[in-house]
Amino acid sequence: MTSPDHQPINSSPNTPLPAPLNTETSHGRIPGNTGIWVGIFCVLVEFLMLFTAYFIARVHNPEDFLVGPDKLVTLAGTTITLLLLTSGYCMVKAVNAIRTDQRKASLRWIILATILGFGYPVVKYFEIQWYIQQDVNAEHGVFYGAYYYLTLNHLVHVSWGLLGLLFVALRTAMGGYSSKSYSGLEAAALYWHTTDILWLVLFSFFYILR
Amino acid sequence: MIGNTEKIWLTLISLTVLGALLGETGNSGWPLTLTVAALIYIKGSIVINHYMEMRLANARIRNVLRLFITLIPILVIITFVWGEEIRRLTTLS
Repeated sequence: MTSPDHQPINSSPNTPLPAPLNTETSHGRIPGNTGIWVGIFCVLVEFLMLFTAYFIARVHNPEDFLVGPDKLVTLAGTTITLLLLTSGYCMVKAVNAIRTDQRKASLRWIILATILGFGYPVVKYFEIQWYIQQDVNAEHGVFYGAYYYLTLNHLVHVSWGLLGLLFVALRTAMGGYSSKSYSGLEAAALYWHTTDILWLVLFSFFYILR
Repeated sequence: MIGNTEKIWLTLISLTVLGALLGETGNSGWPLTLTVAALIYIKGSIVINHYMEMRLANARIRNVLRLFITLIPILVIITFVWGEEIRRLTTLS
């Protein structure tokens, strides 16, 4: 692995930059950039609070949470999970490609990741349309209120991630990244993977757990 | 020849399908709770370690992510075991 254009967290202007890191000695590197980690940690704290609200709602309304998943379309939740995980896989390939200066290959992977990522709001749109037709809404109990609040909140964060993917696709197309400078691309990928993790939890909470 | 990244992706996909099939059974109780907790931990850890390459990352960042993905399954189990106690503790009146 090569080192993107960033410094270790403890480095100062007077400290000479370390030699490029390789896989064996790269423990301690900050993937992406420090800015993206501030954003990621904020998102994790936000969702930890939302998950806490979910757990409290759950213990207060066990019956709602026992039967709630029955009216949700597991196929839609599963499809979103598969789309996000496959999109994440594409971003791993995109970062790996840029590390060897394969810009065209990297761009192709980013575009594929973005297309798969846009599948999420499309599936979610049809899923919610179905619920509206079936009269499954937040008025039918705390479970559905929590479901809409948390999943739509997640969709908002995925939207930021998609905008990030579009941006890095544009920059990659313009030759903005190379094996020596790709922290922006890696940062977008890291944020995208974070939305993966959060969805894995939401999928389990609403579609599987009873 | 399937590469390591592809194997990881296939593992994640397989675990997702397994979870979906589990959800379709409509079961509840201990076995489901423990399985869901395990699935969250395993899938989340795979994404953190392999997709995000946290095995090679700064220890502070790695530890925060690992703490997050460990805490959630623990909360799933705690809520199942001590649901009534938590309900009483979080009741205002």
